[in-house]
Amino acid sequence: MTSSVGTEGQAGGQPSGPQAELLAEKMAEVRGEISKLIVGQTEVVDGVLIALLAGGHVLLEGAPGLGKTMLVRTLAQAVALKYSRIQFTPDLMPADVIGTSVVQENVDGRKSLGFQPGPIFTNLLLADEINRATPKTQSALLEAMQEKQVTVAHTSHLLEEPFFVMATQNPLEMEGTYPLPEAQLDRFLFKLRVPYPGREDLHEILDRTTQGTPASIRPVVNGSQILQMRHVVRAVPVAPHVQEYVVKLTLATHPETRENLVASKYFRYGSSPRGAQTLILGGKVRALLDGRYNVSLEDIRALLLPALRHRIILNFEAQADGRTADDLLEEIAAKISPN
Amino acid sequence: MRLGGKLNSTVPGGPSGTVWLSAPIAVWHRVTSWIPTAAVEKRPSFSPVADRREYPSELSILVRTLNTVRQRILANALLRSWTRWAVWILVGLIAIGAVLSKVAGPLVLVGVLGTTGAAAILIWTWRNRLPAYEAAQRLDSVAGLKDRLPTAIYLGGVDNPDGLIAQQRKDAVLRATKLDPRSLFPVRLPTSVGRALALILVVAGLFAYRINHKPPLLSLLQSATRSQLIQSIFSPLVQAIQKDLERAVALVTMKPDSATADPRRDDSALSSDDLWKGGDEKGAKDEQQQAADNGNEQDQLQAPPGQDGAPSPDARQEEGNSQSQDENGNQSASGNSQQQAESPAAEKRQSLGQSLMQALKNMLSNSSSQQANNRANQQPSGQGTPQSGNSHQPGATEGDKRGESRGSSDAKQKATQTASEGAGSQQGSKELHKDPNPHSINAIPDRVALEASGFKEQTRMNVETETGTAQLASRDQSTQGDAVVNGAEQETIPARYRLYVQRYFEHADDGKR
Repeated sequence: MTSSVGTEGQAGGQPSGPQAELLAEKMAEVRGEISKLIVGQTEVVDGVLIALLAGGHVLLEGAPGLGKTMLVRTLAQAVALKYSRIQFTPDLMPADVIGTSVVQENVDGRKSLGFQPGPIFTNLLLADEINRATPKTQSALLEAMQEKQVTVAHTSHLLEEPFFVMATQNPLEMEGTYPLPEAQLDRFLFKLRVPYPGREDLHEILDRTTQGTPASIRPVVNGSQILQMRHVVRAVPVAPHVQEYVVKLTLATHPETRENLVASKYFRYGSSPRGAQTLILGGKVRALLDGRYNVSLEDIRALLLPALRHRIILNFEAQADGRTADDLLEEIAAKISPN
Repeated sequence: MRLGGKLNSTVPGGPSGTVWLSAPIAVWHRVTSWIPTAAVEKRPSFSPVADRREYPSELSILVRTLNTVRQRILANALLRSWTRWAVWILVGLIAIGAVLSKVAGPLVLVGVLGTTGAAAILIWTWRNRLPAYEAAQRLDSVAGLKDRLPTAIYLGGVDNPDGLIAQQRKDAVLRATKLDPRSLFPVRLPTSVGRALALILVVAGLFAYRINHKPPLLSLLQSATRSQLIQSIFSPLVQAIQKDLERAVALVTMKPDSATADPRRDDSALSSDDLWKGGDEKGAKDEQQQAADNGNEQDQLQAPPGQDGAPSPDARQEEGNSQSQDENGNQSASGNSQQQAESPAAEKRQSLGQSLMQALKNMLSNSSSQQANNRANQQPSGQGTPQSGNSHQPGATEGDKRGESRGSSDAKQKATQTASEGAGSQQGSKELHKDPNPHSINAIPDRVALEASGFKEQTRMNVETETGTAQLASRDQSTQGDAVVNGAEQETIPARYRLYVQRYFEHADDGKR
């Protein structure tokens, strides 16, 4: 059954209802596997899965010890993808990420320059504490994340699909960090905030990690299936009023528009079209995961914060007033009628 | 010449003929400039397309469900609009029944208006009925189907769908068959129905009442107008206004001949001629009072005992009025008879405008008589000015003010007598000098004024001054404008010369103005 999904997807046929149902089933299984190690954090897990199926990247923000790295590693095991991790530090160079040309000696003893791929050549990349690297190194990810390729010595090297970057950053220790530039932030489909676990979840975490042996993760889907699922996702229809709602939300984040006073007062820059694309694509994935074949307004509202919170830049007044991007976006959404 | 033309001619390059519409045109442009912007910014709605579309048979159940929803929403909208309209019509009926005495015509008009409005509401509501796509959105939101139904309507135009589109349609139809639109969209009476029913009862009761009664609001207003409270509030105002109107009308319509012919008119409505004459009359009245002192007029001496004591100024004035009227009628008082014999010819020459002006001054002086009285009491030295002769012109001039002050005092009263009566009054004055009669207690106020003005009667006035003389302040308001001259000097002045002097000072006063 798994193979059939991949075959049909590669054949480029019209996605069918069973494929959508299969997608939902597989993702439910992946979610189940992840939940063996990750307690709670359902929104984060769903966000990661949605971004994986939508073909985007995820920026995880949370305090140390909340399981960000474990989530990425578990996901890599559940989807049977190649996984690599880069610990970003201030002295990390771009070549350390994307690779470099080195002198290689072949069997004949001849020496030649050969490309040594960096850790970015993988399916699932964990860029841990990405904001600790210099902007030069951070920007090394730009081409890889958007174009799915890297260029070294005038030679472009394609990355293997699916290519999925999960970056983490610590919001507490800001000293010695380099905040991600807006251009790179816009490359992330979602910015997910990893919250602290609740009481029940904390009990569960203690029970699982301090007793017995850790559970093993069974791979559920592979890379090709994920690519097919991405094809299915794009076939999900969107009603005109839902798309209009997305446009309204996106435009409402622009400070130069007169539709919403919140943006003109607190926003320095609004969302790019990537934000609207994110809302629609994420809504499609969410609809499929929910067993529907259409995007609803509820999907859009649910994805509003992770999709747009890192795409808007607040001005000084917002910071002075103690306003955050999340509450401002919620205020905008509350004022915009979907009809 | 039109105002626009005037502006064009007076202000070159100024507002043109279209300037009068520039402001509303600017407002209209400002309003309409938003309309295309909004139309451009808002994506064309899918609803009209969805209404014109032929839906496939697999969506027939969904379309039928949506039609039911649309009908119910339309019915609710119609009920709501009709009820609101009915409320307004009922309010109109109440107004008609409460105000109008004849209601047949207005009832027909209201009936036509109500029917036309109801028809217009029907047409308007039908034309703006909910499209199928929006009905699907409503039904979807009520049923919690997460936009399955509008998406299916949107996808209804796809022929031979496959894949997720067909799956989506099937899913939507499956969900729609489980819905009961009648329970989700019941036809409800609008909330204003209770208000309308209450108004219906009121209208029914009102028209039942109207069968045998007048319009209640009119009756209420009439009864309120008759009530003492309203009258107590408004009657002083009404009387004051009415009095002023009567004065004005009398002054405008009065002619010198009629003024001469009817010396018994009210003082307040006297023209300048009347003022002369009125002054004469009052002079006659005062003369009679003096005559009562002097004993020249024996009938005056036979006044009731109550008047010999200390009658109020008004009472004495009334008495004087009656007496002077009697005297005028009998031509018995020498001063009055002489004045009245000479004045008609002279008064005819006075213009109506002068009369009106003088009367208006008199009216003004009436309102400020009390203040002038106070001034007169505080400034006794001004009472000597009557000798100048300027004060025979009442009004705003200083001489008039002094005349007012005199008029509010006893001195003024005396001076008025002497000036207006001419020889007759002088005769009385002379007799005052001669007569030490104790009956002169009635003329005490006159003597008080003379004392202040330094006349030769001053010695006597010192003797005769009593309290209560200032109460005569309001008595001589109409005589303020009369010349205050020594009666002895005026005794031999012919009436023509007196008229000449009067006109001379009138012209002088006009020049000042």
